[in-house]
Amino acid sequence: MRTIRLYVRLLGAHLRSLLEYESDFWIMMVGTVIMQVVNVVFLAAIFAKVPHINGWSFWAVVAMFALVAIAEGVGSLFFEGMWNLAWQINQGDLDYMMVRPYPIVLQVSSMQIGVNGISNIVTGGLMLGFAIAHLGIDWTVGRIAGGVIVLLSAIAVKVAINLATNSVSFWMQSPSPLFAFAVHQVGDLARFPLSIYPLALKAALGFALPFAFVSFFPVTFVLDTGDAWVGLLTPVVAAYCLAVAWFIFSRGLRRYESAGN
Amino acid sequence: MKPYTAHARAAALSALAYRGNFLLSLGGAAVQLIALLAVWKVLLADGQVGGFDWPHMRAYLVVAFASATLVGTFVDFRMSHRIRSGLVALDLVKPVDYQRARFAETAGGVWIEAVAVIVVVAITVAIGGALDTPPGPMLGLFAASIVLIVPLKFAVSYLSTLACFWTENFVGVLWARQALTGLLSGALVPLAFFPGWLATTAQWSPFAGLTSTPALIFIGQASGTHAVLLVATQLGWVLVMWYGARLLFRRGLRRLTVNGG
Amino acid sequence: MALVEARQLTKVFRRPDKDPGMRGAVKHLFVRRFVDKTAVDHVDLSIDAGEAVAYVGPNGAGKSTTVKLLSGILQPTSGEVRIDGLSPQKDRIAVSHRIGVLFGQRTQLWWDLPVSESLAVLRDVYGIDHGTYRRRMARFEEVLELGEVLPVLGRKLSLGQRMRADLAAALLHAPPVVYLDEPTIGLDLAVKDRVRQFFRTVRDEGTTVMLTSHDLGDIEGFCRRLVIIDEGRIIFDGDLEAVKDAFARERILNVQTETVVPLEAARAALPGAAIEAGETPLHLGVRFDRFTMTAGHVVSALAPLANLVDFNVDEPSIEDVIRRVYSGELVLQP
Repeated sequence: MRTIRLYVRLLGAHLRSLLEYESDFWIMMVGTVIMQVVNVVFLAAIFAKVPHINGWSFWAVVAMFALVAIAEGVGSLFFEGMWNLAWQINQGDLDYMMVRPYPIVLQVSSMQIGVNGISNIVTGGLMLGFAIAHLGIDWTVGRIAGGVIVLLSAIAVKVAINLATNSVSFWMQSPSPLFAFAVHQVGDLARFPLSIYPLALKAALGFALPFAFVSFFPVTFVLDTGDAWVGLLTPVVAAYCLAVAWFIFSRGLRRYESAGN
Repeated sequence: MKPYTAHARAAALSALAYRGNFLLSLGGAAVQLIALLAVWKVLLADGQVGGFDWPHMRAYLVVAFASATLVGTFVDFRMSHRIRSGLVALDLVKPVDYQRARFAETAGGVWIEAVAVIVVVAITVAIGGALDTPPGPMLGLFAASIVLIVPLKFAVSYLSTLACFWTENFVGVLWARQALTGLLSGALVPLAFFPGWLATTAQWSPFAGLTSTPALIFIGQASGTHAVLLVATQLGWVLVMWYGARLLFRRGLRRLTVNGG
Repeated sequence: MALVEARQLTKVFRRPDKDPGMRGAVKHLFVRRFVDKTAVDHVDLSIDAGEAVAYVGPNGAGKSTTVKLLSGILQPTSGEVRIDGLSPQKDRIAVSHRIGVLFGQRTQLWWDLPVSESLAVLRDVYGIDHGTYRRRMARFEEVLELGEVLPVLGRKLSLGQRMRADLAAALLHAPPVVYLDEPTIGLDLAVKDRVRQFFRTVRDEGTTVMLTSHDLGDIEGFCRRLVIIDEGRIIFDGDLEAVKDAFARERILNVQTETVVPLEAARAALPGAAIEAGETPLHLGVRFDRFTMTAGHVVSALAPLANLVDFNVDEPSIEDVIRRVYSGELVLQP
């Protein structure tokens, strides 16, 4: 509990300084909202001509886009500092974190707030809300509970992949996380139904970099279509990803050599 | 002319120094290409949608990828950084025209992007088969239209980086611009898929010249006088934005002096 | 058992052995060659509670690496560290409550927060209650004059302000062990004095201090024990005053006179000191032993010979002594 309270405290410290640059704040917000609106217009344009992609309706795909937006939003709002890890390793900025009585990984991830996360979460939430309203889901207590768990797990998968790929920076000398950015871009493929991709990509997004568990499988679970049961694995995948990310981070930390040698 | 060729040569040489960033933006465009190819392959599996069949759409997307990659990496951050850091003041005392010097740098860096485009197109052809090329005269017009992308895209980027005279934060501006150009240029979905009013607006906007015009000429959906008219529109926008940017730059400079650097 | 204990502590850095340029980088991808550099070499060190230890050596001797090993930032290649019986690598959280670290070259303050907010964040990280926090802040205010610094954003601090704020940050949780790595580097004299005064109050409260510095002034009158490290090995560990009495007792007074003073006249006036000619006939250098003579004595002896225009005193730095130790000119016996 104290760990979580302190995390909020560490993040919150940055919030005030962020609000000092008010125009920046609004520009970032407007930028992200436009990006999401463009996504929806793009989907609407396609679905105006065809009723389904591979059996997936407009609103089902909107739900997948929404989940990616929400997961990315949570990532930037609460864990943006991970993207700074490469820079901090390069500059030896972890030194002081290692002598403070708080988990290092949490100190790293709370070093920054990505305000654009707010607009991603809000627009993603709206998209998800509309999608759910239009999809006519038969809501049972079990499905609601399962849906919430799957949603949280989906977010955890995305955050864990961010952590794992950024932790690779311990082995690189580059001050910017090129590898993590590259993987993040691959994650954009997960906005579309996995079933449209060739087998190799399916395997990549389902197993190697399980982005499919950020959006596609959670949606299949809630819609109860296709292989809905795979969606139920999302919490397991999330736990696995978090464990792998933690392993890579702590192995990397042991390699940390500070700077100035 | 000589100082500008020197700028271009320097940029051509330093293009390799930014190879990390370049590979990233190339990766982003490639991921989008893969996703869109997969989506359209499924959609067009049994026939035409909106006047496009699969071979046409594939060619369209490949051209869209090429136009997205050209003039993609080196312009935005380098130019926005110059303004934000105040380096622009140093540029002004040099005996060269600022805007022309920036254009020379942009043009100088294009070679590495052109090489990457050729490689990716070759891979696509190797995997999916050859692309139909348009008849001779139209091929010439297509080439002209591709070449015009360089000044056109430069003008759009340059104009948006001028926003840095008014705001510290460029990332939000960049996102908004990328999202809007993605949509209105036809890079995400051909303009013909939009409702009539939006399609018409987009077609005559400066953005259509970035993707839609060369792609439509290449697949033969625009030909004859229509194609000539589209290329003329590209050229017209280049001129309008080139001189518009000069106006805006002067106003921005005034603001810079008002703020005291 | 000592409060800080290092046994056979060793750190070897592995550096890729690359030819310069792109070609070298590509070649390294295929033929991986490394060079090992031993930064800390089988160091044994034990510091008792309440001791103030000066840890000195030339650049690259392994000072900072030792401090980073002792605080758990680096993993030792071999050997072990115990702080109050705990390993900083294995019991990181427990040890972090017991140590405070200051790297003079680097700040731990948040660059986008005012100092007061950075300190408040650290208060919560260390779980210090508000009453204790207020009491400690009042003391920092008194000795470090922290008040003027508190509202300033981290990125806008001057070096002197930053160092004072960083000292407060390192000592906020009143750790029993403090490592100060180059804590006065780049500071002007007034700030240096205040900071050194603060060190003494910290020591007098019973805090164990390990201080690395290039500046003899930091060490003098503060540390009783001197440890010298060179090429990763400890080459001396013993009493600082004894070293200084033995090797750093010499002073040089440089004087500029209005009229020429013959060397013989000066020598006659100052038996027991060595007189050397300066850069012009109007300059003299007087070499004397600080235990047999004072600078005031030298000045008053020269005053009858000519009007003095200017003078200054060269003190040999601990660096000089240490440099002579490295060159084999001096052999220190602990």
